[in-house]
Amino acid sequence: MVPSASAPTGAAPRTRGTGSALLLASARALLLLLAVSVAVFAATELLPGDAAQLRAVPGAEQAELDRLREELGLDDPAWLRYAAWAAALATGDLGTSLVNGRPVADALLQRLPATLTLVGGALLAAAPAMLALGWWAGAARRGGGAPTALLTGGAALPSAVVAGGLAALLSGVLELVPPVSLLPPDRPPTSSPELLVLPVLSLALPTALFGAGLLSGAVADTLRRPHVADSRRRGNPAWRVAAVDVLPFLLAPLTRVLAVSAGGLVAAATVVETLFGYPGLGSLLVSSLASRDLPVVQATAVLAAAIVLSGLLLADTVATVTEPGRRGP
Amino acid sequence: MSRPLLAVLLVAVPATALLGPWLAPHDPTTPLGTPWLGPVPGHPLGTDALGRDVWSRVLAGGGELLAVSVTAAVCASAVGVVGGLAAGWAGGLADRALTAAADLMLALPSLLLALVAAVALPGRTAVVVATVCGGAPLTLRVVRDAVRSVRASGYVEAALCRGERSASVLVREVLPAVRGLVAADLGLRLVVALQIASALGVLGFGASPPAPDWALMLRENMAGAAMNPWAVAAPAAALGATTVVLALSVQLSSRRGGARPLRPAPARRKEPARG
Repeated sequence: MVPSASAPTGAAPRTRGTGSALLLASARALLLLLAVSVAVFAATELLPGDAAQLRAVPGAEQAELDRLREELGLDDPAWLRYAAWAAALATGDLGTSLVNGRPVADALLQRLPATLTLVGGALLAAAPAMLALGWWAGAARRGGGAPTALLTGGAALPSAVVAGGLAALLSGVLELVPPVSLLPPDRPPTSSPELLVLPVLSLALPTALFGAGLLSGAVADTLRRPHVADSRRRGNPAWRVAAVDVLPFLLAPLTRVLAVSAGGLVAAATVVETLFGYPGLGSLLVSSLASRDLPVVQATAVLAAAIVLSGLLLADTVATVTEPGRRGP
Repeated sequence: MSRPLLAVLLVAVPATALLGPWLAPHDPTTPLGTPWLGPVPGHPLGTDALGRDVWSRVLAGGGELLAVSVTAAVCASAVGVVGGLAAGWAGGLADRALTAAADLMLALPSLLLALVAAVALPGRTAVVVATVCGGAPLTLRVVRDAVRSVRASGYVEAALCRGERSASVLVREVLPAVRGLVAADLGLRLVVALQIASALGVLGFGASPPAPDWALMLRENMAGAAMNPWAVAAPAAALGATTVVLALSVQLSSRRGGARPLRPAPARRKEPARG
């Protein structure tokens, strides 16, 4: 237990143990998930019209609407409806789609593998690139700002720009892959790898640049450690210094950055999946938003937030376990 | 990238976006030729699905996106500066409550917030709301730290000893001291606002057809990327150049000022640096 070296802004020096730190991180994630569910529910409440109007046949009588409202429990106060909805969500009852009447859970389960493949592939592709670029920028930190400028500029690129640029290059100019990634139904996404190239690269490239920017600090810190200079002076070859003296210190920060990136990838997947017509959770969220299919929107948004928050929790856990007492890099 | 070049670009890119509609050689919304034509004389970047001139649409397509993003960034910066001044000046419980709230809000990617907001709000309002929710907390933390160090400085103490009221010290002594910081931070908020605005535009919650808009062009022209790559590459390049030039200018100006890092982003909490 070490008093926090870089005390987080305004907080008292933290001297709590690993267990309570993890407990606090979990409590924070749960609180945030609750806040997200309230925000999602409130946003859908703000919409003009309600489920009764959406479900009733066009031109229905007022009496018919009232009957539907009562049947759906729409006359209850908002907090009661929120509680009922959240309780149903927590027990796995996600409701049925307003558009096609199918259970929301089925739609989510059908789309989940595609998005997991996409995000997993992007993380696999981004991890080595992140390490290499971060290493390069961290090692060159004293010399000039070119690597850092490249990482800053690259991380500022909107994901749509990366997707558009890659599509124009790989499918327009080089004609290597099709510009849209419509998966054949009922086939695993891995059955047609050429369709995955554009979406995975579009997600992986900005993630690698962003993560490398975060990692370069850890690289620069590690390279300054005395044992690295010592190992160099003893005449160890460069690869040995890198593999034995530097790399082990980078694994924890790398895991942390990857865990955080996973959450960002879920958000970026909405853009990439929609642009390429890839049938995942992100495009499901966007299309259900456009058709005002509220049960699907609510369930997908809460699920996405849950994935993001578990990524953050994982990052927090890694940080707590590897560097007790210290929060963040 | 050299500093003068960056300065020229920083002026040229927004100027082109704003003056674009008058520079465009053709009407950006009128079909003029065969769909998906490659670059030909008269249409330097070819045509899109409806046979409209891509070059004219790129020239005319940045103004609104920039206007929405600037509005959103200014709102986020204003909220963050007020919060940061309050937290840094008051200290104690108010400080802890404000920074804790900011930390909580930072945990979620802005794009997810924007999508939740887009359920009920029109696209432009959703961009502003998401930029404020995702950006103001970062501004708050940066400004708060700066205000705390300014507060301990001699001239603020002197002003307080002269018997000046807190409000006037904040406006006349503290704000001018953190001015450069706030300006650089505003640049970062603008980058994130552009990312959110373009993402919502690509998802169909921004400008509506047939308006020329970089994000909408990316959405519309993706299907023809194999036939006329320029229809996708040109708006992507315009949008990309705008954000990259902004981000690099911020980085350069903060380095020149010898300032501390402007992204206080710890690795575990991600500033959604991409749409």
